[in-house]
Amino acid sequence: MKEFNIVLTGVGGQGILLAAEILGTAALKEGLNVRVSEIHGMAQRGGAVVSNVRIGENVLASTFLDGKADVLLGFEPLETLRSVNLASEKTTVIMSDERITPTELTAKKMEYPSLKEIINKICSFTKNIIIVEAAKLAKEAGNILTENVVLIGALAATKKMPVKDESIIEALKELVPTKHLDTNIKAFKLGYEYVQKYKPKL
Amino acid sequence: MPDSRLLLQDAPNKRALLLGNEAIARGILEAGISVVTTYPGTPASEIADSISEIAAEAGVYMEYSINEMVAVEVAAATANCGVRSLSAMKHVGLNVAADALVTLAYMGVKGGCVIVTADDPECYSSQNEQDNRFYALLANLPCLEPSNAQEAKDMTVSAVEISEKLELPVLLRTMTRVSHTRGPVIYGKLTKPNLKGEFVRDIKRMNLVPANSRPMHTVLLKKAEKAKELSETLQYNTIIRKSKSGKLGVISASAAFNYAIEAIDALDLDASVLKLGMTHPLPEKLIGAFLKKHKKIVVVEELEPYLEMQVKAIAKDYAPNVKIYGKMSTPYFPRDGELSTRTVVVGLAKITRRKLPINFEEIDKKYAEVLKDLPRRPPILCAGCPHRASFYVIKKATDGKAVYPNDIGCYALGFAPPLSIGDGFLCMGSSVSMAQGINKVTGKDTIGIIGDSTFFHAAIPGLINAVYNNHKITLAVLDNQTTAMTGHQPHPGTGVTGMGVPTEKVLIEKVAEGCGVKYVRVVNPFKVKEATAVLKEALQHSGPSVVVFRSPCALMVVRDRRRKGAKIMVCKITEECTNCMACIKLLGCPALVLVDGKAGINEALCIGCGLCASVCPYQAIKCEEIG
Repeated sequence: MKEFNIVLTGVGGQGILLAAEILGTAALKEGLNVRVSEIHGMAQRGGAVVSNVRIGENVLASTFLDGKADVLLGFEPLETLRSVNLASEKTTVIMSDERITPTELTAKKMEYPSLKEIINKICSFTKNIIIVEAAKLAKEAGNILTENVVLIGALAATKKMPVKDESIIEALKELVPTKHLDTNIKAFKLGYEYVQKYKPKL
Repeated sequence: MPDSRLLLQDAPNKRALLLGNEAIARGILEAGISVVTTYPGTPASEIADSISEIAAEAGVYMEYSINEMVAVEVAAATANCGVRSLSAMKHVGLNVAADALVTLAYMGVKGGCVIVTADDPECYSSQNEQDNRFYALLANLPCLEPSNAQEAKDMTVSAVEISEKLELPVLLRTMTRVSHTRGPVIYGKLTKPNLKGEFVRDIKRMNLVPANSRPMHTVLLKKAEKAKELSETLQYNTIIRKSKSGKLGVISASAAFNYAIEAIDALDLDASVLKLGMTHPLPEKLIGAFLKKHKKIVVVEELEPYLEMQVKAIAKDYAPNVKIYGKMSTPYFPRDGELSTRTVVVGLAKITRRKLPINFEEIDKKYAEVLKDLPRRPPILCAGCPHRASFYVIKKATDGKAVYPNDIGCYALGFAPPLSIGDGFLCMGSSVSMAQGINKVTGKDTIGIIGDSTFFHAAIPGLINAVYNNHKITLAVLDNQTTAMTGHQPHPGTGVTGMGVPTEKVLIEKVAEGCGVKYVRVVNPFKVKEATAVLKEALQHSGPSVVVFRSPCALMVVRDRRRKGAKIMVCKITEECTNCMACIKLLGCPALVLVDGKAGINEALCIGCGLCASVCPYQAIKCEEIG
């Protein structure tokens, strides 16, 4: 495999960097070359966060060209939309429906755009969209903070990742604190099953 | 990596996924570097943070020094006792340390000494985009530039060896996309640290009075010649691709090299590539020979045309007819902001007159349509941040009419509406000094705003200046008990060292009193009424005054509660709410949201700080325990 690109996008505090590290570690476990870009400091304080995970023998840079995303893993609808320039008609978008209102909107007493509006805009780039009720599933798993792992489970179920499910679970075991492991594995499974049973509601 | 102890594994050939900064930390352990000093700054922080977690176990000494100059001075001194040392900082941190650095080049070192500068193209978390390779040129120091995590580790080891060989400190220049990118790293062997040094008196070398400095300058220039020879044969300066036609040659370094290779492949170009890992001094002969073999040369580099200028100078002697393309004259690549594979593809396509492999124009057009009316999401003060309360108090006490020079840290974000407190900053510690200049010529109430870590870093001389010259300013120290922005590192006010050992707490109020400030008060910013009254009083004081707003960082509070399994507090809006929106209009807290046109609270974000309750004119917000 020459190059496989995932972009993870959302808001500071959603566990995006850990999710990216889990995916990168899973790839490394299979002996693949990998790059994971992170955002630290200022950009994390409730601001937009974008991380790229790139897997493959040709991969050197931490970021990739417009339109070259294989998967866009969106933790928040508006932020998913903000990274849509990396997508093409070949890209699969896996997006959480959990909205986090930017303070700018609240201050101007403006409504958050409707999910339908956001999905329509994404559709101008790609029609392969899977909406995941990540927050609901994370709560079901026992901790709202496991939304990131729900999305990883959803990604695994699409079978787009060039690594085995077992490698992702192994990476999860390595990177998640032991006392939270059961909750996280449950979150992974819930995300996974959700996509297996998924019926598009577009 | 949640556990830095994995860095301690004595497992040569193990393959780990490390952040560039963690790879440098591993390099420190492999190189037997025994003293690590730092002042935290993004994108450099995780180098010393990783070491801090394992220092005691590894037998390494580390410290969060009060500022970068002190950090370099400590590292330089230990290296001059024969102990290998490293000092890490962000690019602007090297400006603070520059006074020490330039003369340290004259003094030289005995044990290896590495100075890491982490540059920040695109200003992801900085006030400028300066290119610190010029410090290598200015101070005549060797400079290594890794392009990925593996090289970051390997070059840390090489930097120490080169430093000892030349008896010169060596700059290791990284940048955000190297420091904050994870990649595979193959471990080498660990070297046992050695903290036992010996100081040998060497007045002529180390006491740099003019009579000694002059000959040491000559010594430095001789060392620089040796460094140049070394650069010619160093494994990091190498031709990694040879073109078949010999028409096109690309010279690149660091993260820019990655974009260059991927761009060459995207355009399917037949190009030779010279990769430079040591960018000062440059391998003149190697570059000269490379220039001779090609008709066109493209220099791909981040930030300033540092390589291009020197390559052009070398071309004058070796290959005057070769065409050199880069950022100068007709710029093919932007000199501001960060490069990307796209900017390099576009530049290379222009130079080689190739068709672009991707229709960027079409993507841009569609993307512009998507971005239209899309609300921005800039970084903000977290829900429950005590700075929000401090800013509210400052605004209330001054009616928003004072001037508010601010400083570097989370509180720089206070300038954003609706708080809108913060009128500008230059560098660490500038709030206190700028306040004096502003007050002098405007006579307006002036409140300098600074954080606790920044206070220790660079405000104390400024504060003494205010006392000595009797400047009528107020310094508001927003003390959240940590260095929050860079990842919660300790500082002299926190009572714990980088080694994790409890230590003397230096109290900001005592320091201020010691500097001679007559009006010093400590307030809790969440007690809005009291704090406002104190600040008003401070503004009435005839000389300089200091008000310390003390309350811990909200992220620490939440983490602490979670760890202890304590009850989580949240605020709730009651039926008394008239929907006047005062809470939303005044505070800009991300937990305050609109729900069907009414004020509401996002429980997942709220930490129950109660600031909204205290500004509500109808007492319609209550704090409650949940969970």
